[in-house]
Amino acid sequence: MEYTWDFGSVWEYREALWVGLTNTLRIFVICLFAGLSLGLAMGLARYSVRRWLRWPAACFIEFFRNTPVLVQIFWFYFAFPILAPFEISALMAAALGITLNSAAFSAEIFRGGIQTIDPGQWEAGRAIGMRYREIMARIILPQAVRRMMPALTNRGIEIFKMTTLASAIAYADVLHQARLIASVNFNPIEAYTVVAIAFFVILYPIVRATYALERRLAKGD
Amino acid sequence: MYEWDFTAVIENSGLLWQGLLGTLAITGTALAFGLPLGLMLALSRLSPRKWLAWPAGFIIEFFRTTPPLVQLFWFFFALPILMDIQMTPYLAAAITFSIQSSAFFAEVFRAGIVSIERGQWEAARAIGMQRPQAMRRIILPQAVKRMIPAFTERSIELMKTTTLVATVSYADLLYQANELAQKTFRPIEAFTVTALIYFTVIFGLSLCVQAVERRLAVSGDSTVR
Repeated sequence: MEYTWDFGSVWEYREALWVGLTNTLRIFVICLFAGLSLGLAMGLARYSVRRWLRWPAACFIEFFRNTPVLVQIFWFYFAFPILAPFEISALMAAALGITLNSAAFSAEIFRGGIQTIDPGQWEAGRAIGMRYREIMARIILPQAVRRMMPALTNRGIEIFKMTTLASAIAYADVLHQARLIASVNFNPIEAYTVVAIAFFVILYPIVRATYALERRLAKGD
Repeated sequence: MYEWDFTAVIENSGLLWQGLLGTLAITGTALAFGLPLGLMLALSRLSPRKWLAWPAGFIIEFFRTTPPLVQLFWFFFALPILMDIQMTPYLAAAITFSIQSSAFFAEVFRAGIVSIERGQWEAARAIGMQRPQAMRRIILPQAVKRMIPAFTERSIELMKTTTLVATVSYADLLYQANELAQKTFRPIEAFTVTALIYFTVIFGLSLCVQAVERRLAVSGDSTVR
């Protein structure tokens, strides 16, 4: 079958796509920062000597790693509003689901990264009179973060891809906007092709950069 | 204070079981097509022939770096216009997740194949084997063993990703949960039970993976990620 491609109809609605892209970036930035910070806290808690910190952290991590993120988003969108005393927007529900999911995955990255640091570093820190917190902040984390960079960048890429799930609860991200354009213009081929290419063009350079970073770290370490 | 009441959900639990079967069916289909396709992509990408290696590399990178939901929408809404076929949610999901998972499986295969020592290739050549023969008889059997943990992990990841099919109304577990919530007006219970079912199945599988990994570690073979 011969199909005439017509990207002009998508171009006419470029502003709608642009709005979608800024919304995608908004939820991405929220989830990246909140997810990584909470992930660090959870990773530290999981590594803690205190059992009342370690256990809840382990439960949180295992639960959110072992359930699909879309189920979490649906839970926060359809179930949570009944329990919560306040209104929950699509952005909040999607951001909550993606953030908690990313926190669980990045907690494992932080934990793994911290554990690869030689115990001698801890002993040296203690020998010059540093407390746990100081050693962690000044000696261990700066070294660990360097080693974790490739894994953390991968997480970031995953989060960016995950933001499309917000469209399932009608958050106006780029995919949702494409869907609108497709239903108005009857041009799903062009609309979705443009979105797919946009994601590839944005993410692929970052993927390449991660490969390069991995190679450099493999050489340096 | 909210009063939890699971009776309506338990009475209609048949819906959820059907959904779980739907989830397993789509995961199984994607695995059945994704694994062989992934092996083909990996072999093509490793091939010395550029006209084979380049397109394979592109397919792998493209499907790894675009969101699966965009792919699903493309196959569901766009493909039927390009090709004259009757698109169903199941078919769209099967195509999307077969290709998407094959791109990830290809990288697992590639890592496994590359991890085999050079000496094995040289030994095969020394006794007169051709490249395809050496690959089939010497390299792959050793590589597959190292890939098992990465494979199972990827399959678990695949099962979690299949929840996306609910958005094109394929009756998987998540879709059925939504139906159940609307039928019983008990979204909290319906979605909580669904999350717990997913957790039980996926966590159970993760524990199996860990056991297999320990077993492989005992047999003294390294694994690849």
